[in-house]
Amino acid sequence: MSNPLKRRGFLKCAGAALVAGVALPGCSSGPEGGVKFRARPHPKADEWKHRLGLAQGDDPGRNVRAAVEKLCGPEGVRTFVKQGDRVVIKPNIGWAQIPEMGATVDPAVVSTLVQLCREAGAGTVKVFDNSVGTNSKCYEFSGIENAAKAAGAEVFLCAPHRFQALAFDDPRCRRLKEWPIYEDALTADVFINVAAAKVHNLTYVTLCMKNLMGVQGGDRGKMHQEIHQNLADLNVMIRPTLNILDATRVMIAGGPSGGRRDQVVPGRTIVCGTSAVTVDCWGADPKNLPWPKGHHDPAAVGHIALGAAAGLGIADPAKIEVSA
Amino acid sequence: MSRRKHPRHPLHILRIAVQLVFFAFFLALLVMTALGTPIAARPWLAQLFLITDPLVLVGMALAGAFTTALVASLIVVGLSLLAPRAYCGWICPLGTTMDIVDKLLFRKRDRSANLAPRLRQVKYGLLVALLVLAVFRIGAFGWFDPVCIATRSYGVALYPIADHAAKAGLVAAEESGLHAAGQAYDWAARARLFIRDTDFKKGDTDVAYLWSLVFTALLVGIVLAQAYQKRFWCRNLCPLGAMLGLLGSVSPLRPRVSKKCTGCGACRKLCKTGAFQPMPCEKIRDASLFSISVSKSVMENREASLISSHASAADKKYTSTVQECVCCYACERDFCPAGAIHIGAGSPAPVRPEPQVCPGRRAFLGAAATSVVLGPALLLDQRTRQKAETNPMLRPPGALKPDAQFQAACIRCGECMRACPTNALHPSGVENGIGGLWTPTFVFNIGYCDYFCNVRKEDVESGRLDRPANLCGIVCPTGAIRKLTHAEKIACKIGTAVFDKSRCLPWARGEECLTCEEQCPLGEKAISHDMEDVANLEWLEMPQPKRNRYEQLDARAASGEELTADEKAEMAAMPPKTRRLGLPYVLRDRCIGCGTCENVCPVDGASGIRVERLQTRDVK
Repeated sequence: MSNPLKRRGFLKCAGAALVAGVALPGCSSGPEGGVKFRARPHPKADEWKHRLGLAQGDDPGRNVRAAVEKLCGPEGVRTFVKQGDRVVIKPNIGWAQIPEMGATVDPAVVSTLVQLCREAGAGTVKVFDNSVGTNSKCYEFSGIENAAKAAGAEVFLCAPHRFQALAFDDPRCRRLKEWPIYEDALTADVFINVAAAKVHNLTYVTLCMKNLMGVQGGDRGKMHQEIHQNLADLNVMIRPTLNILDATRVMIAGGPSGGRRDQVVPGRTIVCGTSAVTVDCWGADPKNLPWPKGHHDPAAVGHIALGAAAGLGIADPAKIEVSA
Repeated sequence: MSRRKHPRHPLHILRIAVQLVFFAFFLALLVMTALGTPIAARPWLAQLFLITDPLVLVGMALAGAFTTALVASLIVVGLSLLAPRAYCGWICPLGTTMDIVDKLLFRKRDRSANLAPRLRQVKYGLLVALLVLAVFRIGAFGWFDPVCIATRSYGVALYPIADHAAKAGLVAAEESGLHAAGQAYDWAARARLFIRDTDFKKGDTDVAYLWSLVFTALLVGIVLAQAYQKRFWCRNLCPLGAMLGLLGSVSPLRPRVSKKCTGCGACRKLCKTGAFQPMPCEKIRDASLFSISVSKSVMENREASLISSHASAADKKYTSTVQECVCCYACERDFCPAGAIHIGAGSPAPVRPEPQVCPGRRAFLGAAATSVVLGPALLLDQRTRQKAETNPMLRPPGALKPDAQFQAACIRCGECMRACPTNALHPSGVENGIGGLWTPTFVFNIGYCDYFCNVRKEDVESGRLDRPANLCGIVCPTGAIRKLTHAEKIACKIGTAVFDKSRCLPWARGEECLTCEEQCPLGEKAISHDMEDVANLEWLEMPQPKRNRYEQLDARAASGEELTADEKAEMAAMPPKTRRLGLPYVLRDRCIGCGTCENVCPVDGASGIRVERLQTRDVK
């Protein structure tokens, strides 16, 4: 029965497998210059820390277009999206809830943004979120997947192997040392952060700063210890080109997951800015959005204050300039 | 192939084709079960191989847990009445697995000496024992039923392995720079061919089940036992095979050996289930070798007496045992050089008499008696363990209650575990009785009961939530897990979440968290919190001299003394003695026990909040 050819064949296969096993991981090459967040800041990011663009009305799609034009001028998205850019839009698609529940960004906001970026000449527009709930179900329920695809975006589920450990090496990062961040968020030329306006059981509100948790992998439950500082650290490292707060609806109870229509009130508002901290400062203000009574003064929301202290934006409502 | 002298019998070729089609269908259905919602529209597809299993039908009927879907197995009963064990030879996924492995590994192996005819009796004993246990409402036949074995082994053990392997291969190819592999990965993820999406806490897409190594080992053992005999399991152990064989006793279709038999014995050596033996006349003389009793009526056949009078050791003639024949059609042209074998309802050639295999009376009684003792013992064990267990098993929503009723109706096929979209359902150990082995139970550290398990977007939008919403109940072939609408499902309490205040971060360590509350999927959350001032861990962790200094400054400030600017700064640089923190609690009557909180708790190991099946009236 012993057949030398067979044995040789076996050894050949085993050898080939061994070589492949050693060689394949070896020839994988990471992006040059290590892992870092590469999206360009908005060209006026430094000058416009205090500026916001705002639009109100019943059509969320028109609101987002108007808000961007209020901030950036009639050129709108073209001021920061260049021909051939790889654009990533990170809306809140965190929960398996339909748009009416206000737990996720309105699909019309996302599809309009995709259109705007494509009109501005973007090479690719990708839309994703590392959802809290089951990824595919959140994509389906929120209506964002279909809307974004129809507008011409690539929509993909997060794959665990595409997270890359980002070193939080900025001296302003006080707690986080390293965290896995999704590859496409790191490598985009333009990164647009689109948050829904919701109350949150731990951070009072969840707006643009907290929305960035959707690019994180790992055990995000472990973000919840000293969450305000962690969020400030995250925002030091991940600086979106544009931050948009979708307050088409405002979730005033049961946040952030929601699930009851009676916990959602119409907000009819979209506001955008180059600084997530400034957008959040405006958004968290009970004078601007219909937050429940007794809600916090924005400067008292820990992560907004810490973000401003790290120089990321403005935490003083009086210093914010809104173009409406 | 080179040895083949005659072309295969057309039905032989057809049989192989049918086997492969059914096997591919079986595997396709397992994959479809993973797709979740699509299979929910046609749940009978997920159940198909199990509801057509007569052993399940009879077992469930005896256990008093009969459901009408099982009537489908009458098709297989009918088939077996016409063609003995054709199911085993043509359809059974476990049988096909064995045939494939036999072709791959043992094609040239000479097993003709391994006849071991007495071993065959075991399957009849096992059948009797399992059916008697079913009367005691122990669903043990699920452990041995070949369709359950195949469903469990493929669905709960091999499919996850294939899932891992496919993902690992694509990831390796993608990381070595093959762009198409990344696209293939994305496509498969969107098509839901991978079993699950990224997990919130672990950040992986791993799917694995407790006991799956054991299921793999059982399958491997079953196929490798063929090194001793072809279809070892089917010949000797399979209780379903025993049942179908007995049904087939009356079948007109059977292998018939004509007078042309030269007694060469090729059939005896080559038949995959060993359905051929020398004529009874020889065996009567050698009864210890072949424990086959010859029925009187057959021996009364004139021809039989004629043959026995002419038979001699030199020209031994052969005949078949209908209960063993799986109608594979290999014998007619492949084995018999004389062309003396014919599988058919009638034969133009004279047909030799056939011996009847009866499960020996002693074996029958012995098996029944064993179960009569074992049944009550297992029931007592079930009750004792449920008393002893501090947290009895958490059953899928819709599982029959009381638990004894569920255990009687569950055939341990693993369909519910396979269908569960979050990998939350697992085969249990013996926590609820040794007889409850491999019944489904929740492991919330791994998954959770999805609030919108089988709910579509349009259902929520229209408010029409009257479709079955629990995939485990939808695919359950026996109704051990009932189908529940969304409203019924969220009213069905699996258990109640309980904080372990010695592990929960805010309670035990004064650290911020509330991840459980954040993720509680209920519109009105079942977890809430009070803001309280608690000892600050950072302060407690300061060295004693610093703490003393802080106390000193604090006391002076409290007594109204004005501190210097330096002292004020010094105090401000030190962490405060207490901090305001949300301390969570469970609203017991709202909690449905879905386990999301336990699943996402950032405490590693045993979570700071765990779902328990409290033995109080709040569990309906």
